[in-house]
Amino acid sequence: MKTKMDFPNINERQPEGISDEGKSFRVLIVDDSMFVTKQIGQILTSEGFEIVATASDGQEGLETYKELYPDIDLVTMDITMPRMDGVTALEKIIEFDKNAKVIMISALGKQDLVKKSLLIGAKNYIVKPLDRKKVLERVIGTLKTD
Amino acid sequence: MRVEYINPFVESAYNVLSEVIGPDIQRGDLYLKSTTQPVMGVAALVGLAGDVEGRVLFDMSMKTAISVASKMNGEELASLDELGKATITELANMITAQAVTKLHELGFQFDLTPPAIITGENMEVSDADVEALIVPMELSSGKIEINVAIRERA
Repeated sequence: MKTKMDFPNINERQPEGISDEGKSFRVLIVDDSMFVTKQIGQILTSEGFEIVATASDGQEGLETYKELYPDIDLVTMDITMPRMDGVTALEKIIEFDKNAKVIMISALGKQDLVKKSLLIGAKNYIVKPLDRKKVLERVIGTLKTD
Repeated sequence: MRVEYINPFVESAYNVLSEVIGPDIQRGDLYLKSTTQPVMGVAALVGLAGDVEGRVLFDMSMKTAISVASKMNGEELASLDELGKATITELANMITAQAVTKLHELGFQFDLTPPAIITGENMEVSDADVEALIVPMELSSGKIEINVAIRERA
């Protein structure tokens, strides 16, 4: 049994997914792709974030947000999804909680959708393919803005 | 089919594949295929709607699909399971979306449908009177044919 003591840490660094009070930030992932959900999940949990739920379309994402509220810190939202697209889901989440922190994650870099999402109240926009560094930077940046 | 539609797909396929699978990708020569086309074993399909209508088909063998999905997940997949299928459809989605983004910059408006995946042997795809242009990509995992069929709305 190895304990943490066996691996001296050269850089003492608090994982980014844990708040100053020592609590993990709670994240909801909304994406219709199991692959993308897994990718985002792996990136975030490796930094101490907690994935509290995942939803595979906008409708489910909205319902899950309402269930988790107010115990939710961040949502990652895909755009192209069946049943309800991510821009509509974003709109409805912001209607319900104007302080919601939603980051759009999409393969589409179409300017009008980017602009529209940001106007509605998305805090950030990440274009796929996902790069670990980019995801962490934007997520952490979003959590630090109030 | 207008040639302006094709280049964005070629560029985007090259960019996305390089990023998620790694370098050494060779682009083969483009060629036209008639409307009925046999499928190699795994085909991911993304529909296009908007100013034009059409679809993009990503055609590959089962072996190539498993190898590509394994690379993208950073783990060896034994078969093309749910995760493997989701990975291949996501690859199709990323390439199509990046191409659509480029087309958007050129003034063409497209929307895309969530991707679907079809697997099986000896299948054919038939589109009524539309020619498909094939962009072959050679990777270390095998060949992926990107089959683009777009037509103007009547």
